[in-house]
Amino acid sequence: MNRRRFPWLSYLLVVTGAVLTVVPFADMVMTSFKGPAEAGTLPYRFLPRAFDLSNYRAAVHQLDLPVLFRNSVVATALITGSVLLTSSLAGYALAKLRFPGRDLVFRLVLSTMMFPPFLFFIPHFLILVHWPLAGGNDLLGRGGAGLTVSIVALAMPFLVSSFGIFLTRQFMISIPDEVLEAARIDGAGEFTVWWRIVVPQTRPVLLTLGLLTFVDAWNEYIWALLVSTADPDVMTLPVGIQLLQDYVDPTRTMPIVMAGLVLSTLPILTLFLLLQKHYIRGVMLSGLK
Amino acid sequence: MVNATLTPETTRRAAPGAPATGIHGRDRRGRRQAVVAYLFLAPALLFFAVFLVLPLGFAVLLSTSRWAGFDLGDIQPVGLDNFAALFADGSTFLTPVLTNTLLFALGTVALALAGSVLVATCIDNLRFQGLWRTLYFLPIVTTVVAVGNVWKYMYEPGGLVNGVLNALGFGSVAFLQDPDTALPSVVVVQAWASVGSAILVLTAGLKSIPETYYEAAALDGAGPGTVFLRITLPLLRPSLVFVCVTQFLTGLQSFALIIVMTKGGPGDATEVAALEMYRQAFSYGDWGTASAAAFVLFAVVLTVTLAQLWFFRRRGEDV
Repeated sequence: MNRRRFPWLSYLLVVTGAVLTVVPFADMVMTSFKGPAEAGTLPYRFLPRAFDLSNYRAAVHQLDLPVLFRNSVVATALITGSVLLTSSLAGYALAKLRFPGRDLVFRLVLSTMMFPPFLFFIPHFLILVHWPLAGGNDLLGRGGAGLTVSIVALAMPFLVSSFGIFLTRQFMISIPDEVLEAARIDGAGEFTVWWRIVVPQTRPVLLTLGLLTFVDAWNEYIWALLVSTADPDVMTLPVGIQLLQDYVDPTRTMPIVMAGLVLSTLPILTLFLLLQKHYIRGVMLSGLK
Repeated sequence: MVNATLTPETTRRAAPGAPATGIHGRDRRGRRQAVVAYLFLAPALLFFAVFLVLPLGFAVLLSTSRWAGFDLGDIQPVGLDNFAALFADGSTFLTPVLTNTLLFALGTVALALAGSVLVATCIDNLRFQGLWRTLYFLPIVTTVVAVGNVWKYMYEPGGLVNGVLNALGFGSVAFLQDPDTALPSVVVVQAWASVGSAILVLTAGLKSIPETYYEAAALDGAGPGTVFLRITLPLLRPSLVFVCVTQFLTGLQSFALIIVMTKGGPGDATEVAALEMYRQAFSYGDWGTASAAAFVLFAVVLTVTLAQLWFFRRRGEDV
């Protein structure tokens, strides 16, 4: 269109927008260095007086950051691993195996995507509470706290992704049947075909799916909040940091909260910056975020 | 989620032509392949049974029951009473809760759309498009707890936003404490956090507009304004509709940001439907009303989703 006609105007707009996008992150970092008397006082100052690391030390201790990190890492790893495995297995079956009911199953997978997540918070929580033979429950799911007191509870509702199955299936369809058939003639079973040929050939899409899942799982808040109300020991990073912000005097603890936030967002931002092409491709494929 | 409407016809076309030595060999192999296929699908199908079908049934049951929690034997059917209670006189569900939900979603769409159209059309003219896109994308990979708290702090009297206002000679605004400004203030944050993905979709839409249209317009001496209104906007319409609908759907459902920033307050100025559902269930233990609220919101979401599908079907586009 008006290519290079008014590029200065375009630059002005895009740079202003980019600054507006980045400034809150910068403010987060700057606040994390401010002393208790410095943050939240008038007049506002962007830069801290000194780059003091005491908020970071306080965050590690007051927040019990190592435990929060461990819980976040375990939940995220469980979810990402499970989504990759189940999507790739189911995707292969739906793309390359012939069996009765295939269209029905595929239609079922697609139809599950129309149910919004908020519909499931209540029943998922109740199902985990009444999980039979777990957390002191009897066979009928009565008497105890069920699975909600387990770290597995953080991951359970997210272990399979319909979108993941759909995505891997779409990619696996393009693998030539001759390649798979040749392996079968050489005596390879379907499991070997899947592991030795299909998985390596679909590595890019698995990377993309893994990245999308990882980011979502790491950032998940509502479900983790529900589970950690039942058992504080399984608290994740977002829940723990929010708890500190909610229950301690906000004006005084804000720099500590910011330090915790910097530490918890740093891994994910680094991962995104390193692998952003794959991530952005995933968002394009899902068309929605 | 919503846009995944690939028809099962593609499945049939992609079926492997399994060469087999004879009718019997094919049968045996076919049966073996079916067993393997269902083994591969088993984890997913089991998951859907426990975490999709069962919860949906349970949610329907709860929405038509009264239950205090704890013992599953105490669930009492009450028909549609819970739904009636939501819309009864004196209930806050219709106003302000559902009104707030719609305002929140519409406000987010309007702001995010305006911002993303501006930025996407401008980025299209620039170098380093990847760099800009990355910067605009940062909020999307950041947890809502970080986004909410950073903005909440920036809205404080001693925070960045008021600092800028003061420096420009304006008085401070109690953004999140004033019932009149609380909802718009949260809308700004939601739009800020979602503009990056909208830019992504629109940039892809812009790239698909053939260069020849612009060359023809340039030959005819059309100005940049005319080109934008007569070529860019009409041809970008599918992308624009898509962005609108997906952002609107996200807006209708989201409440994490509101929990972090205002907890629905002050008063019920920022109370939205999903938050109301959450609160009824997990704060008040009123599982019936909460489940009913969830289904009302689901009805709204489903209507918007079907309207979007209808729009794209009518245009014969597979999105």
